[in-house]
Amino acid sequence: MEESYGRWRVARWIAPLLAGALLLPFLVGEFWVHVAVEILILGLFAVSFNMIFGYMGQLSFGHAAYFGVGAYATGLLMVKASLPLPLCLIASMAVAGLWAVVLGYFCVRLTGIYFAILTLAFGQLTYYIIFQWYSFTGGDDGLQGIIPPGFLMGATAYYYFTLMVVALAMAVMWLITRSPFGYTMRAVRENPERTKFIGIHVQRAMLANFVIAAMFAGLAGGLWGPFNRSIAPDLCNWHQSGTPVFMSVIGGPGNFFGPLLGSVIYTFLMAFVTGFTEYWPLLIGTIIIIVVLFMPGGVLGLAMARLRSSRSRLGTREAGGP
Amino acid sequence: MGGEPILDIEHLCKAFGGLRATNDVSYSMQPGEFSAIIGPNGAGKSTLFNLLTGYHRADSGAVRYKGTLITNWPPHRICRLGIARAFQVSNIYPGLTTYENVRQSILAQKGDFLRLFTPATGLAREETLELLETTGLSEHADQEAGKLSQGDKKRLELALALGSRPDLLFLDEPTAGMSGEETQATMNLVSRLNREMGLTILFTEHDMSVVFGYARRLTVLHQGTVIAEGSPEEVRTNETAQKIYLGEEV
Repeated sequence: MEESYGRWRVARWIAPLLAGALLLPFLVGEFWVHVAVEILILGLFAVSFNMIFGYMGQLSFGHAAYFGVGAYATGLLMVKASLPLPLCLIASMAVAGLWAVVLGYFCVRLTGIYFAILTLAFGQLTYYIIFQWYSFTGGDDGLQGIIPPGFLMGATAYYYFTLMVVALAMAVMWLITRSPFGYTMRAVRENPERTKFIGIHVQRAMLANFVIAAMFAGLAGGLWGPFNRSIAPDLCNWHQSGTPVFMSVIGGPGNFFGPLLGSVIYTFLMAFVTGFTEYWPLLIGTIIIIVVLFMPGGVLGLAMARLRSSRSRLGTREAGGP
Repeated sequence: MGGEPILDIEHLCKAFGGLRATNDVSYSMQPGEFSAIIGPNGAGKSTLFNLLTGYHRADSGAVRYKGTLITNWPPHRICRLGIARAFQVSNIYPGLTTYENVRQSILAQKGDFLRLFTPATGLAREETLELLETTGLSEHADQEAGKLSQGDKKRLELALALGSRPDLLFLDEPTAGMSGEETQATMNLVSRLNREMGLTILFTEHDMSVVFGYARRLTVLHQGTVIAEGSPEEVRTNETAQKIYLGEEV
């Protein structure tokens, strides 16, 4: 059936990509290993965003609130309580999830542009809370001295740790998208009205997805602190919220891996281009315009469409058709 | 002598601005009925269905289902009680396959729609295939629902409603846009469900051959008010009803 074929198709791509990812530190210098960690963390952030955008059909412009809350949860627990990193990451997910329950309760009562605006407002609210709460968070001084445990201090070590955490998180999110919950999200996206009339409490389902997406954004934030050794309230603002949006749009929101590909493109280009010019915003802006106008399904969407049409042409030839 | 009515509507009123779409409608249905509501365009048939299924809030009046007061309940709660609805304009999931459409309704009814870690592929497979078979959609199972023909979309609309395993089914112009063959197939299916499963059915139609061919009880609505009620023969010979339908085929 369609589903199992799709699974096999995905598996064919995953294996070599995973192999490449495992070999990466042996193939490139330390700078690019750092870039790879950034790609993974922001990729996780973007894939979590796409649970709300691609699968549920709503544009959250405040997803960085949970990234930032996760970053501060891990950062504060490591610096002030010397808690081990894995526990901190779990706490990041929990705190981000709880914050999403509070904010999401209001957000899911709206849809479309109103949902987007409210999430944007809540993102800025989160930013200001962290900014103003100087005594606890350090305000705009930021939080410094987030040092990973000894065995994760090297770039390569932290890369493999991030790869493991991100791969696990993505596997869990992948399972969720294949589950009845995932299909309920698609149903809410396709036709929220009909979904009510088949007996589903749409707002409750939307809130559940919102919280799950926030938890994984919190996890990404938790990984960011020890990577950067310091964090700042800026991690919550609307500019940071825009990053997963651009990544998802460029990579393709109609595909689970689209946002990850978007992170590869976006982060790699940024690392590469900012090395010799300050016109990075011009470049990324142009890319987004091109994608929106000519490739609405993103890069992955275009690739899948090409693959499908070439395969169907192949099928006709094999069957001896015209 | 009937027992408790499955549906009991008392003095239901709904106005949009100055327009009385539903004007003091009282109506009662026994379990197992196969009845129709007819009336010219704008009579308030769809508004009535909207009020009964939670799409609109009533201004006043009461709706009881199996004795439970359900007036102004949200749609999902009404559906979970056992009332399902097929919309006049196909209200399906265009981006999902026909199979996924039907499965979604069945999983919703079973309460499995929030399960996180089980692949959906294996779930409710038999029930989904059976419902596709019953509604004549088996060969289109893997087709994107948005690409179905109009008639097939209507059938999918019915399948979505049936997936909720209702005891009371509202059909809003179930055969609109269908060929003669498709009309017969659809109404025969609905009729069979009524006879064999005791499914209570209330439908609206403009096609009078369908109405007189299948409904055992008719209610005529005009400008939001019930103006005639009874068996098809009684309504056919009713003068007021005839006046309303002057110029329309009966």
